[in-house]
Amino acid sequence: MEVERFIRFVEELVRKYGIGYYEIRILRVVMIEVFMSNGQFRGFFSNFEMGIGVRVFNGVWGFLSVNDFERFEKVIEIVMKIVKFFWGELKIYIGDFVVDDVEMFVKRFFFDINIEEKVVFVKEIDFMLIGERIVNRNVFYCDIVVEIFYFNFLGSEIRMVVFRICFGFFVIVKENGEMQQYWKSFGGMLGWEMVEGIDIFYWIFLVVEKVRVLLKVSFFLLGEFQVIVDLEFMGFFIYEVFGYVVEVDFVKNGDSILVGKFGQKIVVDGFIVVDDLIFLGKFGFYIYDDEGIRVKRVEIICDGVLVNYFNDCEMVQYFGFELNGYGRVQSYVYQFFVRMGNIYVEVGDWLFEEMFEEVKYGFYMIGDKGGQVDIVNGIFIFGVREGYIIENGEFRKMVCDVVFLGKIFDVFKSICVIGKDVRIEYFGYCGKGQLVFVDDGGLYLFMKVFVGGLK
Amino acid sequence: MIDVIESFVEILNLKDVEWEIYWESGRSGFFRIECEIFDCFQRKFYFGIGLRVGLNGKFGFFYIIGIYYFCLEFEKFVEWMIKLVKVSEVFFRGFFVLFKVFEVKGIYDRKIEEIFFEDVYVFVFQYVEKMRELKEKEIFLGLIFLVFERYGVVNFNGVEFEVFLMYMGVFVYVVREDILGNGLFYQSYCFFQGIEVFEEVIMKVKEDVELSVRVKRFEFYEGEVVLELEVVLFIVEVFFENFYGDEVYYGRSRFFSFGDRVVLEDFIFLDDLMFEGFLGSYFFDGEGIFGQRIILIENGILKGFFFDYIYVFLFGFKSIGNVVRSFRIVLLIGLSNFVVEFGKEGLEDFEGIIIKNVFGEYIVNLVSGDFLFLVGFGYVVRDGEFVFFKDNMFVGNVFDFLKMVEFGKVIKRIFLFMVLRVKVYVKIV
Repeated sequence: MEVERFIRFVEELVRKYGIGYYEIRILRVVMIEVFMSNGQFRGFFSNFEMGIGVRVFNGVWGFLSVNDFERFEKVIEIVMKIVKFFWGELKIYIGDFVVDDVEMFVKRFFFDINIEEKVVFVKEIDFMLIGERIVNRNVFYCDIVVEIFYFNFLGSEIRMVVFRICFGFFVIVKENGEMQQYWKSFGGMLGWEMVEGIDIFYWIFLVVEKVRVLLKVSFFLLGEFQVIVDLEFMGFFIYEVFGYVVEVDFVKNGDSILVGKFGQKIVVDGFIVVDDLIFLGKFGFYIYDDEGIRVKRVEIICDGVLVNYFNDCEMVQYFGFELNGYGRVQSYVYQFFVRMGNIYVEVGDWLFEEMFEEVKYGFYMIGDKGGQVDIVNGIFIFGVREGYIIENGEFRKMVCDVVFLGKIFDVFKSICVIGKDVRIEYFGYCGKGQLVFVDDGGLYLFMKVFVGGLK
Repeated sequence: MIDVIESFVEILNLKDVEWEIYWESGRSGFFRIECEIFDCFQRKFYFGIGLRVGLNGKFGFFYIIGIYYFCLEFEKFVEWMIKLVKVSEVFFRGFFVLFKVFEVKGIYDRKIEEIFFEDVYVFVFQYVEKMRELKEKEIFLGLIFLVFERYGVVNFNGVEFEVFLMYMGVFVYVVREDILGNGLFYQSYCFFQGIEVFEEVIMKVKEDVELSVRVKRFEFYEGEVVLELEVVLFIVEVFFENFYGDEVYYGRSRFFSFGDRVVLEDFIFLDDLMFEGFLGSYFFDGEGIFGQRIILIENGILKGFFFDYIYVFLFGFKSIGNVVRSFRIVLLIGLSNFVVEFGKEGLEDFEGIIIKNVFGEYIVNLVSGDFLFLVGFGYVVRDGEFVFFKDNMFVGNVFDFLKMVEFGKVIKRIFLFMVLRVKVYVKIV
């Protein structure tokens, strides 16, 4: 790669136009994707992508992305000219000079597994999902290597290589005009060892059983109830509810319910929310953010008190907080934005069984089915994959298409009990119009919330 | 055709495979205003190809970007591709053979192509000034973007097309500083929009924000309600996924055979990709197949689905060109301009409960159609007096809704949809 030539060329332009700040990211992605529906392969892709993203700053941000290296030199000069001419009033925090080379370790590099083996793996899962009333089966597999080379006006040079893998399956059952769905997926900053470590038979059996039972149940009820949420639902809940409102760009624009709440108690005592960017093996793992800032474990809520917002170099200068490295982008094509990494709730001291005994009449909620948060008004509405009615500490019956909704602050204050078990393994892609790698985790939580049914 | 594509075609013609290149070459400009300050611009250049290769009834796909850089590597990629196709097992029926193309008028504005990036600043600063002038107790966020793209399809059977895509997007988001209240607007246009459009948009969003701060919780109600266009769009979006040929083929759709009654009589749902002056219109789709008007529902009866070249074959119908494409994706079946033909009810002067927008679109059960929405903003009109409300819930099923809905007369555009007000019987709690 002609990185040295790019650096020299940009440095010359910076001197010529008197630009104080620039940074360049060169990204290289290699990816394999396999996707099968009802025994037929629908996707079988092997892709390679490379491109350059350049940011310059002169009180206003100028950004250029180009995937054609020949064109790069012609257009970067236009960006420099424009930024020089249209200077602005913004200020940013300048980080430290860094030189580093980080290549993450995986036990079994997935490129060492031949493509035929990956195809057979997907076909076997699809075959195992065949069954009565199952009208639709989907299986996907994806592995991806991202290599980033970052350099900036301070002379920083960082090379980082991260490996990620994910796969999952999804089924739909149909009977007498009724349809239901269920799924399971896995992902992480791991190699092929993730696939080898999963008890596939267990998960397939569970998904097929659950979806068939969901077909037989219905639910229509509205009201406020005692609710225990499982680890997966809690991970989703904390990611959706906190992931956006603690992003400081939303706070700056008056667009978060946490405006003016810094240092205040917003959740019950003992409640701790952490975002650990350097949690090894997790999908949202990174060591340097996309602004070249070394990252760490960040506490967002400590004993119920809001103690941090996610921030980046622009926002930290605006608010005067300590920089915590959340300047992220999906790829060289996109604008920078503030986004979480691996968010989860720290452990409490209650066992699941102990919580259960406390429920007089309420629900146990497992897994999510998507949802939406109004971060200005602090209202959320989430779908639940499966639910159970609990009466006097015992399971009564299963229910489907349950909806979980409420006001964020009211629900935070209604938390009664925090569980002991924590699991961080619910990967995903998320962002404000972009898809960045994230992970979330949760524990059993006992709270009061409004519950509704779709049927 | 771009020179580099021609050289790729020469290489592919030497291989014993069927092939198709979908290519894009484009540029875009993006300008952001935050808290009434112009704070960021972006210039994006891109160039990429998506290559599909077919061999012995199976096919594979990969994409390449930064084409000039990878020119020398292209042959190596094709060899790798052929190796993959041998294990892919993805069904392949061959590529499309050309027979005719219709021209769609009014979808190009050369000003979008020709305007200098630097000159757009004049408009951006006018936009900033307009926000400052109209600002009272709000914070404004604004985005403007301009896109110009050439794209084309070349395939083994001699199909060779190249067209343009150009549009301008305007986005405004407004939030009150002192009290809960917000509103937004977004629309893309085939034509360059002047400052008068920005002013109109800002005033419209400000009005929505002011209404949103005057809301109250509404008590239980059961009866007729009129749903505004945004809510109808929510419901239609759930509905139209059932028209995708691949979803039907793999058993994910509610529908599986033509002739079923799915909505009340007299109503027509169609997709018109030749709508003059509309962004969703195109000469040909992502596989090089000419577009045409598709009737999905006529007189309440299911009449059509959206297809690509493979699924239309599997269903035994003729090709109709519904593929949405980008060089990074193999292809997607999608809509162009979705139209709900107007009904007979004069709902514009309706007095009663009107729901303007709802919240919770992502928890609709797409397979069963069951939903529970929170009212984002609604109002009651009685004798010309307005009472505003929000946060109430209404529950239903999309498919049941469409069997009892009454459509209004006035059709309006939102994004790629032409929809109208509807009257339904609901419970609000």
